[in-house]
Amino acid sequence: MASQVYGSYIHNTTVHHGCQRHSRGANWYCNGRRNVTFLLFIMLLLLLLGHLGVCSGRPDALASSSSSTTLRTTSPPSGNQYYSDSNSRQFSWSVKGMDPTNEGDDRDVGGDSGVGDAYPSASSSSGRSPIPHDDSDGFEESSPRSSGPVFMPNTGDVQAAQADTEHNGNGDTKRYPVASVEFDRVKTPFIIGVWIFCASLAKIGFHMTPKLSRIFPESCLLIAVGVIIGVLLTQTGNMNVSPLTPDTFFLYMLPPIILDAGYFMPNRLFFDHLGTILLFAVIGTIFNTLTIGVSLWAVGQSGLFSCDTPLLEMFLFSALISAVDPVAVLAVFEEIHVNEILYIVVFGESLLNDAVTVVLYHMFEAYTEMGPTNILYTDLLAGFASFFVVALGGTIIGILWGFLTGLVTRYTHQVRVIEPIFIFVMAYLAYLNAEIFHMSGILAITFCGITMKNYVEANISHKSHTTVKYAMKMLSSSSETIIFMFLGVATINSRHDWNIWFVVLTIAFCSIYRTIGVILLTAIANRFRLHKLNKVEKFVMSYGGLRGAVAFALVLLIDKHHVKLQPMFVSTTIAVIYFTVFFQGITIKPLVKILNVKRAEKRKPTMNERIHERFMDHLMAGIEDILGRHGNYHVRDRFKRFDNKFIRPLLLRDHRGAEPKILETYSKLAMKDAMEYMRRNASTIGNISGTESMSAIFRNYTTGNINGNLSGTLNGSTSFSQLDSSTWNIDMQELEYNPSKKDLTDARIHHLLAEELCKPYRRVREHRRLSYSRHAVNDRDLSTQPVNYRMHMNIRRMVGERKHHHKRSKRLGKDGKQNHVSFPGITQNGSAKQFSHDYINEVLQESENDGDGTKSTSKEDWDSAITFTARTSHETHTSGNNEATKKPSQEMDGSTGTNAAATESARVTTPTATETMLPWKRDDEGESTCPLKQSEFPAWCSNKEYLAYSSPSATFLGGIEQPKIASVIGLFRRESSGSVQDSRASSESSLHHTSGPESPPAPGAVLLIEEGGPEPLAGMLGIPRRPPVGRRGSMLELGSTTVNSIPEEEATTPLTSPQNSPLSSLSDQRWMALGKGSGSLSRLAGRLSALVSSSSSSSSSDDSSNEDDEETDEKCAINRTQN
Amino acid sequence: MGNRSSLLLREEEIAQIQEETGFTPNQIERLYSRFTSLDRGDCGTLSREDFLRIPELAINPLGDRIVHAFFEEGCSDRVNFLQFMQVLAHFRPIKKGRDNKLNSREQKLKFAFKMYDLDNDDKISKDELLAILHMMVGANISEEQLTSIAERTILEADQNGDQMISFEEFCNALERTDVEQKMSIRFLN
Repeated sequence: MASQVYGSYIHNTTVHHGCQRHSRGANWYCNGRRNVTFLLFIMLLLLLLGHLGVCSGRPDALASSSSSTTLRTTSPPSGNQYYSDSNSRQFSWSVKGMDPTNEGDDRDVGGDSGVGDAYPSASSSSGRSPIPHDDSDGFEESSPRSSGPVFMPNTGDVQAAQADTEHNGNGDTKRYPVASVEFDRVKTPFIIGVWIFCASLAKIGFHMTPKLSRIFPESCLLIAVGVIIGVLLTQTGNMNVSPLTPDTFFLYMLPPIILDAGYFMPNRLFFDHLGTILLFAVIGTIFNTLTIGVSLWAVGQSGLFSCDTPLLEMFLFSALISAVDPVAVLAVFEEIHVNEILYIVVFGESLLNDAVTVVLYHMFEAYTEMGPTNILYTDLLAGFASFFVVALGGTIIGILWGFLTGLVTRYTHQVRVIEPIFIFVMAYLAYLNAEIFHMSGILAITFCGITMKNYVEANISHKSHTTVKYAMKMLSSSSETIIFMFLGVATINSRHDWNIWFVVLTIAFCSIYRTIGVILLTAIANRFRLHKLNKVEKFVMSYGGLRGAVAFALVLLIDKHHVKLQPMFVSTTIAVIYFTVFFQGITIKPLVKILNVKRAEKRKPTMNERIHERFMDHLMAGIEDILGRHGNYHVRDRFKRFDNKFIRPLLLRDHRGAEPKILETYSKLAMKDAMEYMRRNASTIGNISGTESMSAIFRNYTTGNINGNLSGTLNGSTSFSQLDSSTWNIDMQELEYNPSKKDLTDARIHHLLAEELCKPYRRVREHRRLSYSRHAVNDRDLSTQPVNYRMHMNIRRMVGERKHHHKRSKRLGKDGKQNHVSFPGITQNGSAKQFSHDYINEVLQESENDGDGTKSTSKEDWDSAITFTARTSHETHTSGNNEATKKPSQEMDGSTGTNAAATESARVTTPTATETMLPWKRDDEGESTCPLKQSEFPAWCSNKEYLAYSSPSATFLGGIEQPKIASVIGLFRRESSGSVQDSRASSESSLHHTSGPESPPAPGAVLLIEEGGPEPLAGMLGIPRRPPVGRRGSMLELGSTTVNSIPEEEATTPLTSPQNSPLSSLSDQRWMALGKGSGSLSRLAGRLSALVSSSSSSSSSDDSSNEDDEETDEKCAINRTQN
Repeated sequence: MGNRSSLLLREEEIAQIQEETGFTPNQIERLYSRFTSLDRGDCGTLSREDFLRIPELAINPLGDRIVHAFFEEGCSDRVNFLQFMQVLAHFRPIKKGRDNKLNSREQKLKFAFKMYDLDNDDKISKDELLAILHMMVGANISEEQLTSIAERTILEADQNGDQMISFEEFCNALERTDVEQKMSIRFLN
């Protein structure tokens, strides 16, 4: 640690400018044509600009650049000084300073650190606020060095902007600046940002050049870019920029990579091969360390290195150089896609050998400091024991934090948005926690990830899961990028002590002993392995022993005081890293191809595989039990049992079943099917539903209107009750109803429902709109909810049958059938009921569809449409003259006025279904009561656009705002209805989820379904037709007449009971839809009461003309009701 | 116990078993000692109860089926050592260059398939699959879900559209699975 020298980030502005120009020229000149070059150019430009920004506030800094050289002479003597740059706040990005005795560095120190920077001690300067780093500034140059700390703090922040005016000593009064530049304050994060940005840009660059990325692994290219940047920075005299410090690396860069590795570790594979992995990680690493150390020492004894090579220092070096690096292995192995066994063995080794490396490293470091003579055998024993402490301690800490994360995420379902942060933060805490006790942080975070994964994923929402996945990948990949880039930069900036023989021999020994170790250890491992590692795999294993940034960070950690050879170690480490990453990394790809190593195939398990493999697990566990041998399967089985019995119930919010994986696979596949189906048939569904819904709404509306109107204008309640509970059927078409159509309708209902089932996402949006909380993420997507198995089954069936509904034929069919279906009171046969039910479904479900399709119409609009219907009915029964303007299709009735309406309604006592259906035939009402042919149904009814924009239906679709007050009637109904409905309503959480004013009617809504469900149309129409007096009574009446048909209704829907609604989606869906629709019905009742209480209804422009009438009418109505 | 078992096992029996199953004499003796330790009644055969007396097997969700698999060959209530060994031979790891009579991939798959196929019609029906799912997944999952899972599974594997999984379809469905690995026990090598 003591060897860390914090260099300066401050750069001479002018030099930068020169550099910038230079690099630009160079880049253009050499190969400006390539994408990469261009990107690199941009990148470098930005990087340099970032540095440039340091001095940007000081124009006079540009004046001269030469003066910096004069300062160099005053730079501190060689040794292990801390160079504190003017901004020593930036700890993490402070730079591994180079030894000033190095001539390159020496020059650089002068150039860089400028005036007040090269203080001999860090402590004196650490407290300072930023210092102007411009040596070219005449004033500062001349100022005594010691005055820097005294002088600067006062002006620290503002001086950057005001330096030229104020620091020259000519004025003490500060003027308020129009604009000021203050780079120092943001310098640290800014430079961090610039680095990350550049590294990421570089990464983009590679992937834009397929040629390059095909040959080289990404790590190589990143290092190359790092080298280029390093060279440029060196050229510009900023030698000290070497951002990769051990602390930065270990505290900030490594954890994301390891967490990613641990979290996405294939657990099963990992534990299957744990024995082999441990063998390699522990024995292999120790073997390598000892052999390399001894060999180097032995060669050193021969004097080949022409320097003293004490055994302990050689061991120290070999300890850090012999560890396979997880970052490098990941980077290379992810690109070559070897089979998973190979991958997991090499990668697992690289992860788990951390404990060994840490222990060996610290052990030898301590021994080196103690000196070889002072080492007692107890120290050796302590070292050995500490291995177990470090390894097991790290593992246990990780596992504990993993369980803790699972436990925490169990309770996050109210605050979904912060779910991902727990995963990151707690894993990071596990890492730091292990580091506190000097245990293996890598092991801790690895096992934390492995442990938490299963529990966390069952708890968090699907979206959070996606977030976690991407954030983790993003973090790890960017920190990997930066690590490699910094390795490149560090190469150039290092003060190298090249000892050719040492380097060559180290590389040779590393390769040789790695190979020997692999051969020996696989021989051992194969004795216990089912899958024998063959020669090719052995080769890949030994060849894949890449070294990387961990070794580099560790070598930087070596204390130069105690280990004089540290510079040589640094150089050698870099050489080894370069060798492994470049030579092995580049060649491993073709070699894998040549040797025909079994490649990995990325795939998701199919249902069969999942089930049968699990089946085999149980089988094998059973066989092992019979054999009396406790192998892998036995242990796994036992753990699973324990897990299911104790851990999962504790950590999971909803612990479902013993085989979460089977369910998970199933829901994933089902989801995929659904999405697939949606993608393929999206347009069809949308069109069909859209048109049907509009025309259906329209028809429905008019039916309700007319009925309400007629009966309302008639003599009150008697006719109402007649109609409501009517078993009359005077509709000729209805009587002639052809039973064969029932089948058609059934089919259509089925298709419709099945199609509508694809719409859970849309509903999500509606709900989301209603939630005002900024942090409320409404993720009731499928995967978090219990999967709608029935729905998926249906969809899948449809996919399987390749059913394609032509919308044309569909529309035709509907036109042929639907008009007489809508007659309200028909309960005679099941088919009629079916029709009406179907109808309601269409209307309700598709209204949702519309709400999403066209932004303007939404759920509320739909609700208000219904509300409006209700109001029209009231107003029409009291004053019939309003109806003309209100009813969309009553064009010709506008002139008839009150009298006409009264007379005609007096004549028509019982309207036929056709009449109610066809409002544009209202003019015929007076003359004839004969049913009208369906063919007269105008074309525009099914023209969605027309309806949406210019048809009269737009009138009733125009929104009236929702009632602000809960429905009195709804409340009453809730009371009167049993608790069954309430429970059902509560199962439909979506309704409850809606914001305040809406929620009270919901239970009532469900009640409506329950009672009016079989005859929703009756319900729909019944409300408008309710007599003003005894509205309650009519409601109950309605309920009573229809309640006995509930069984039938349930029989028509081939579904299970709605109680387990999440599972049976057909029924669920239907119930939901009905719930919503009738929720709106009850909401209209709420509307009435709202009008009474507040009498401040905000109506849409469509009916604003009638507002006054309506209000008064409704007041009357309500008053009467309450009487 | 090892003594006793080797005493009880005659040379020609060992030879016969070795011939039929491919186990080495050493393995045969070890397994025989296990066999006799399971055989509480000392009658040279194992009953279902003998198997289910193994505590782990008793709580294995598929324990019954596994035991049942031992009894499938002969229809008797008891399993003698040869039958015992024949069943276990399925789980020997595959060795290259040797004849793998009972432990070939196909035999392993066949064994697993037979465990599903209760009615021996060489097809896994939905009900049979459902029964297995019941055992494995347990009670926490509704019948509906399980049914739909089973349907999904069958639909996925079913190639000829008979709503059943035949053995060929079973093999195809597990084409990518390393059955040789999964259904082998190192101990039996």
